[in-house]
Amino acid sequence: MDFKRLAKPALLAGMMVLGSAASALAFTACQVTDTGGIDDNGFNQTAWKGVTDAMAEHGIEGRFLESQAATDYEPNINSLLGGCDIIITVGFLMGDATAAAAQANPDQKFSIVDYAYDPTIPNVLGQVFATDQAAFLAGYLAAGMTKSGTVGTFGGINIPPVTVFMDGFAWGVDYYNQQKGTSVTVLGWDPDTKEGLFTNNFESLDDGRTFAQNLYDEGADIVLPVAGPVGLGSAALADELGTDNLKIIGVDADQYLTNPEKQGVYLTSILKQMDATVKSAIEAAMDGTFAGGLEVGTLENAGVGLAPYHDMDSAVPAELKSEIETIKQQIIDGTISVGM
Amino acid sequence: MSEQQQAQTEKLAHQLLQRAAPSRTVYEDLIIVPVFAIVAALILGGLVMLATNVSLEAIGKSYVALIYGSVGSLGAWSETLTAATPLVLAGLGVAMGFRAGFFNIGAEGQVLMGGMAAVIAGFSFAGLPIYIHLPLALMAGILVGGFYAGIAGWLRAATGAHEVISTIMLNLISYRLVDYLLKVPFIQKSGRSDPISNAVLDSAQLPRLLDWIDPNLRVHGGLIIMLLAVWFCYWLLFKTTIGFEFRASGENADAARFAGMRSGLIVVLVMALAGALAGLAGANQVLGVLERASPGFSAGIGFNAISVALLGRSHPIGVLIAGLLFGALEAGGRQMQVDAGVSLDLIGIVQSLIIAFIAAPLLVRAVFPWGFRGKAASRKE
Amino acid sequence: MDIELRGITKRFGEVVANSGVNLQIKAGEVLGLLGENGAGKSTMMNVLSGLYRPDEGEIVIDGKPVQFDGPGDGIRAGIGMVHQHFMLVPVFTVAENVVLGVEPTGPFDSLDLKTARKQVREINETYGLEVDPDALIENLPVGIQQRVEIIKVLFREADVLIFDEPTAVLTPQEVTDFFKIVRALKDAGKALVFITHKLHEILEIADRINVLRAGQIVGECLPGEKTDIELAEMMVGRPVNLEVEKKPYAPGEVLLDVKDLTILREDDSLAVDDVSFSVRRNEVVGIAGVQGNGQSALVEALAGVHRVAGGTISFEGKDITRTSARARHKMGFAHIPEDRLKNGVVTNFTIAENMVLNSYYDERYSKGVSMDWNAVNEHAAEYAAAFDVRTPSIFETLNHLSGGNQQKMVVAREMSRDTQLMIAAHPTRGLDVGSIEYIHSRLMHARDEGDAVLIVSSELDEVIALSDRILVMFKGRIVAEFGAGGRPVDKNDIGLAMAGATL
Repeated sequence: MDFKRLAKPALLAGMMVLGSAASALAFTACQVTDTGGIDDNGFNQTAWKGVTDAMAEHGIEGRFLESQAATDYEPNINSLLGGCDIIITVGFLMGDATAAAAQANPDQKFSIVDYAYDPTIPNVLGQVFATDQAAFLAGYLAAGMTKSGTVGTFGGINIPPVTVFMDGFAWGVDYYNQQKGTSVTVLGWDPDTKEGLFTNNFESLDDGRTFAQNLYDEGADIVLPVAGPVGLGSAALADELGTDNLKIIGVDADQYLTNPEKQGVYLTSILKQMDATVKSAIEAAMDGTFAGGLEVGTLENAGVGLAPYHDMDSAVPAELKSEIETIKQQIIDGTISVGM
Repeated sequence: MSEQQQAQTEKLAHQLLQRAAPSRTVYEDLIIVPVFAIVAALILGGLVMLATNVSLEAIGKSYVALIYGSVGSLGAWSETLTAATPLVLAGLGVAMGFRAGFFNIGAEGQVLMGGMAAVIAGFSFAGLPIYIHLPLALMAGILVGGFYAGIAGWLRAATGAHEVISTIMLNLISYRLVDYLLKVPFIQKSGRSDPISNAVLDSAQLPRLLDWIDPNLRVHGGLIIMLLAVWFCYWLLFKTTIGFEFRASGENADAARFAGMRSGLIVVLVMALAGALAGLAGANQVLGVLERASPGFSAGIGFNAISVALLGRSHPIGVLIAGLLFGALEAGGRQMQVDAGVSLDLIGIVQSLIIAFIAAPLLVRAVFPWGFRGKAASRKE
Repeated sequence: MDIELRGITKRFGEVVANSGVNLQIKAGEVLGLLGENGAGKSTMMNVLSGLYRPDEGEIVIDGKPVQFDGPGDGIRAGIGMVHQHFMLVPVFTVAENVVLGVEPTGPFDSLDLKTARKQVREINETYGLEVDPDALIENLPVGIQQRVEIIKVLFREADVLIFDEPTAVLTPQEVTDFFKIVRALKDAGKALVFITHKLHEILEIADRINVLRAGQIVGECLPGEKTDIELAEMMVGRPVNLEVEKKPYAPGEVLLDVKDLTILREDDSLAVDDVSFSVRRNEVVGIAGVQGNGQSALVEALAGVHRVAGGTISFEGKDITRTSARARHKMGFAHIPEDRLKNGVVTNFTIAENMVLNSYYDERYSKGVSMDWNAVNEHAAEYAAAFDVRTPSIFETLNHLSGGNQQKMVVAREMSRDTQLMIAAHPTRGLDVGSIEYIHSRLMHARDEGDAVLIVSSELDEVIALSDRILVMFKGRIVAEFGAGGRPVDKNDIGLAMAGATL
């Protein structure tokens, strides 16, 4: 064995260890993704954008760990302990693992996206979103835009951060029907019985295609997939069928921007501005104002919202646009109470 | 026979009882080849990472992380052992099947069913002391896993249905069955609408072994159960008449039948044993690691168990070593992500390369021709 | 074409397989090569065909030294091997198999089967082979398949043909036909090498005989010069006794009684059709017949590993038709199965493990479920020594043993306990003289000790030498009985009965 050839990487590796020890002195923010992965064009990616924004702005260190299965949550969190000033866990499903780690390590700061603890845990900041407010607008928009009189939705897993989108969407359609005397139907979710279509995963693009196809076959011409990267499969289907036949409403991030290859299929996206809340949680930890508890993103504080129509702008009637603006203001001032 | 002849025969018989010393080949196969396999895999893995624009620094850093994260600290050992425990248990089950000539693909389903049974037993029966409740929950996993695999064994014995097909189908059934069970009101966690079970009560949890040092050390009592299972399988396979029947049937089913062994009974027995071990692996996960069941909580353990069994050459000690290797790769792979930021997919490639090289000793001998003096063992399997 | 091997030495590590072998192969002559299993016959032929390269010595063809670097060189030089195990594709036709690898091609590289068929027919006519070029291999009997192998070699224009144990798989009638073909090839000027350990065949067909022992040529003679016993002693290297010694026939009471037995094959065809016979203590009953006439099914049914469709099997007056193989084993049944490797042994097990393959549950070897390996090993070593199983250790796996030693291991296992009934199917198939002699004496010993012995063999000489009574099976029925209480034993009559002639 050629010793010189071996020696070089070993030396480099040794320097790296020293290097990482040195950089550990800088403020470090760490993220653990759920099984969707860091590049899901959705909420893991949006949350990570919050970390990278903070890195760019404040010159801090950032790391992430991807989970392959639910069994990874706890060891992934554990392996970041000690090396991170704040650990951001993304997703409702990580609620139990985060709580356990936070209670075992009271000096470690945590922030979890999409989970509200009751009672709250002192070293965990929960970030939740009134996504139903934005989804309400999307539902109203969809009801106004549908030609077939049928719109559809499906979710990843039947958990509150997912179904809150579907609730708002369905209520928005109902509100449109009330106002206009129409009878647009929503396939895939019943907000009263809390039952609907779920892929039971956040990974399979094939499922996204199949579920959208089924909804399309039942007459839906606008579909809202609430399942992270699964929705990319639905977008691919819409791209093939043509946007006249099927439009997609994105979730979490503005998917017109995050999925540029298929951007034409998105009517709009329901924004969940996790990047903003994640960044503010990091900043709070940096300047010492971090406190556990709950932060709620709403239309009012721009934590949730509706993305621009982009290419669809000309297709959406001006009247509908202004009605949506009005409803948004009514939700903010409490005239319309979503879900009541 | 004359006295002289008899004396000669006795002397010859005595000579025949001598065992040959293990050959150099055995030593090379067991120690040198795996070491070279890891070296070869790391070099090739490094080239793959280079090709995907990972810097040389990051590669060096990631390999240090691989070692550090698997064996470099108490926490690393704890993670390695925690990950290895279910793999060894399920791997033993698969290996038992291989030994008897049955290709049991169903460990994944057996892990799920055994785990579900253990969870249900684990959150029910509040108020029992741990020395009753924990064994009860473990036994539930063993029995249900064994029963579930026994179905495939019975189908084989009674109808000749091939176990590869029936165990794959039982896997598919188990996924949906778990989805369904997790929505059944008395199992589903109250207040949740997604499929997730109630949490296992404290009295049914496998106690953590080292939490008195650091509460984050996850290694738990399942480790002891796993080591007992390794010993049990070794004893069963090599020291009992049942193990003799398993091995004979696996090597030559016709000869076993001609020797009066009952093949139908052996199928059912070995499949039930395989399922019991896989079910124990599932129970180990829910009682020692997850504390609850959610869809897909098996996380591919049942499939990795097939690799573990093959890599361990279906020998209980081999399975233990292979399972530890898999566990170390899992724990070390996590550290590679943390320290070097190498993507999970690349880590998967490096892990698979190491396993592939170890599984192909002849390839390693061809790549590193020097240093191997023993003749390559030809294996008939 | 004449070939000479001069001073060929071939080593495998420390094992010397051939040592200074000189051999002459001449056109128009049959060279008989006689030797025990493991004497180095196969190594020598593999050197000749180019598969192995000799460590010392040279091959000289028509006076010119040549060097072979691979099996292709041997074929190109005109040397063809007909292996003991055929290498034919069962679902291909004769013509397709013959041209496989050297296909004649037409325009655009298309397969020209027409030419192939024509050439096969020409070879057929030249040597009187009578093989239909369009028949599927899987539909042909073994004897015809062997001719296809011969055609293959001739098609490749071989002048030297090497036959490795060619008669091992043939019936007596097929052997006669095979010899005709060998003579036709000889008359056409081919050089032939005939490898075997069967003495009478070599005396019948060879023009010159070389005897190989332990890698060296130990003798050369013409057929008329030596008797079969002399040749056998040359081959084995010690005095042998080809006659089976047995005590006078004094049968005891009936032990095994078979009545109206009917057995079906797996495809529901009739394997054994309404057969009745009995075997007494101190008696050897031989069942002769061409393979495939129901003997296999009969033996398996008697051993308890094949279902019986009708009739009864009784043992010591008790009906045992439905009892398991294990139960019969406990009653004192011993069974040497027909296909040793398939049914008799586990080749990856050690000799010790194989020695208890069907008695491991016995209280001598296990207590409850716990095996007593010390007892197993001690007994195994004792039996291996007593039955002349040649091995360095009982912890060797069985695949390291030669066929003869494997068979002796099986015989040791079956006879190393208190047996009542010995069922031996082809007990010496493929074995060398020394092993055959030994196994025959052991079977006779069992008979003289009071066992009932049933022997099934397609080797007529063996059946005649061992049996007190001979039953001939044809198409699932017993068609004739010879010896005590039947017709006088006459080899020709028995052969006719085996072929289905009514006597």
